[in-house]
Amino acid sequence: MKRIRIPSCATPSLAPRAARRPLCPYATALQRSIAPHNHRIQARFQTTTAVENFGGEQIEIEALAEQTPNAPAAPRQSQIHGSIRPEELPSPHPSEAVRSVKLSALRARLSLPPRFPLQTLARTLVHPSADPDPNFNNASMSMLGANLLGYYTTEYLLCNYPRLPISVIFAAQNAYVGPRALAIIAREWGIEAAAEPGGEVDPGLLQFKRLKPGEGVPAILARQVPWKWNTTNTHRIVATDEFGSDNAPPSPHSLATTPVPMEEAAQSFVRALVGSLHLHLGAPLVKRFFKAHFLSRHLDISTMFNFRTPTRDLSRLCAREGFESPVARLISETGRLSRHPVFVVGVYSGKDKLGEGAGSSLDEARVRAAAAALKAWYLYRPVDVTLPSSMEGELDTSKWKPNMVDCGEVIV
Amino acid sequence: MSTCKSAVRICTNPRQPSSLLPRIQCRHESTTRRHKKLLTVQQAPLYTPNRPEPTLIFNPPSSAPSAYHTPLKFLPQNDSRRALYASFLSTSTQAAHRTQTSPVTAPGTPLSTLSFLPPKPSAALPPAVRTPYEKKYHLTDVEIKEIQRLRTEDPVRWTRVRLAEKFGCSQFFVGLVAKNEAKAEKVSQEHERARSKWGTRRREARHERERRKELWGRDA
Repeated sequence: MKRIRIPSCATPSLAPRAARRPLCPYATALQRSIAPHNHRIQARFQTTTAVENFGGEQIEIEALAEQTPNAPAAPRQSQIHGSIRPEELPSPHPSEAVRSVKLSALRARLSLPPRFPLQTLARTLVHPSADPDPNFNNASMSMLGANLLGYYTTEYLLCNYPRLPISVIFAAQNAYVGPRALAIIAREWGIEAAAEPGGEVDPGLLQFKRLKPGEGVPAILARQVPWKWNTTNTHRIVATDEFGSDNAPPSPHSLATTPVPMEEAAQSFVRALVGSLHLHLGAPLVKRFFKAHFLSRHLDISTMFNFRTPTRDLSRLCAREGFESPVARLISETGRLSRHPVFVVGVYSGKDKLGEGAGSSLDEARVRAAAAALKAWYLYRPVDVTLPSSMEGELDTSKWKPNMVDCGEVIV
Repeated sequence: MSTCKSAVRICTNPRQPSSLLPRIQCRHESTTRRHKKLLTVQQAPLYTPNRPEPTLIFNPPSSAPSAYHTPLKFLPQNDSRRALYASFLSTSTQAAHRTQTSPVTAPGTPLSTLSFLPPKPSAALPPAVRTPYEKKYHLTDVEIKEIQRLRTEDPVRWTRVRLAEKFGCSQFFVGLVAKNEAKAEKVSQEHERARSKWGTRRREARHERERRKELWGRDA
């Protein structure tokens, strides 16, 4: 049987328990093409859309949405579209997506192939605060996209800089795919926000419920008091998000009907776009998209360090690795007795120079040189790097080279 | 005869040791023409390739070393850059020795200068900023007890500095084994009193200095 089986439409008595709307955009077309005279399905749409309160079915809809997450553009109330005015819908009808110039322009601007449906692109632009229905907002896709973005960024950082301290990894993650970075990326893509979400606005606009002027950030988005005060790095790695926050971020589903700032809505759009790209076009294209739009942004990791006692850290490092203890040596100097002296000091371990720093006092130059040496240690990049995600689905494992795993940062 | 001369020669002043011995004969440049000739800037070295086939030209401007350049010692044992660094070091040293000229060929050098080449670059390291020391670990329990006794009996006389001098250890070690909180509290109160007398300018200047010092470990 090629027909999509919907068990709930077996008997008319079960009709109210079914999903209000079909979950796959092509389901109706498929059903029509295979069983064109099946009036029961049509009738089901008519009956179920008339059901106002469907609280009991909410769970079922979500469960179905989890099974078929690439439900891009359900023909929402397609049978009675003429009778409902678009202003009554919380977000634009999916059938409007193909007529939106902005959406086509956005798809072309991002160089997405035409097989990526515009209805899905329209759905990624609907924040849960605009439309609380999980079948029509981007909450589920933004969760998937957040996980994908976090995975690809972490993998890139850990494989290319195996010695980075965990705090620098957190900062680099935040700089690559943090909320603010994603909001900037969305702005660079030319995403504009609708003044007020609704069914009548252009589907190419970002839809979210705006914060009123003068209102503070809602409590769910504000920085929470940590559940315990001595928050450890282990807690940050295991229990919270990939940016090392003290608390786990709110789930996108929990933001329904909460007014949110523009940044929150924009980042949920970018994440949802990555998630929907993964579902529609597959992992290889998402990896290329990630490389082109996220990794291509320049980030100087060497500016993310902050050493409080670099000289002590460096001597601990040398003791740990079995090098000779570091000695600061004066390479060159000028104007020692003037108002603006410059000293260039190198830190040597045995006969090898580890780092070099310049400063206006001997102490400053020495500390800067030690910090430069520590940075040179932490910013080591292996020559050959094989990302684990590049070997996904490969049967030939001969290309795989194990990546370097370092023993960890210096702890004084 | 070259028209361009090194700018170093303008600055070099072959000093004579102040002694009672007769002054050593030296090459001098006494005419105006010679001095004016000295001001001409030296030609930049030629970086255009002398071969018709395409070559790699590497001529970076002088700058602070990059933090992304891992020193040889920090590379893991199996890294392929180790061999490259080692071969580069040997070839560059050889080339430097091959192209080096004796210092006596330049004017302005004392006649007494030997015509030998300078020693190998790796032979002498620059002077240390602070005198390097070895940790001795020579203090026994008896001496540590003595340090603690002195520090508790007369903290004004036996400061950390005096104890460190007497026992030949570091001040940090004295603070480690014989901490005197009451004295430290008194000293910090004294400092606080002195700080309260500061005016705006001095306080702000000190604050700025502390802030700058925090930046040392941030952007090296």
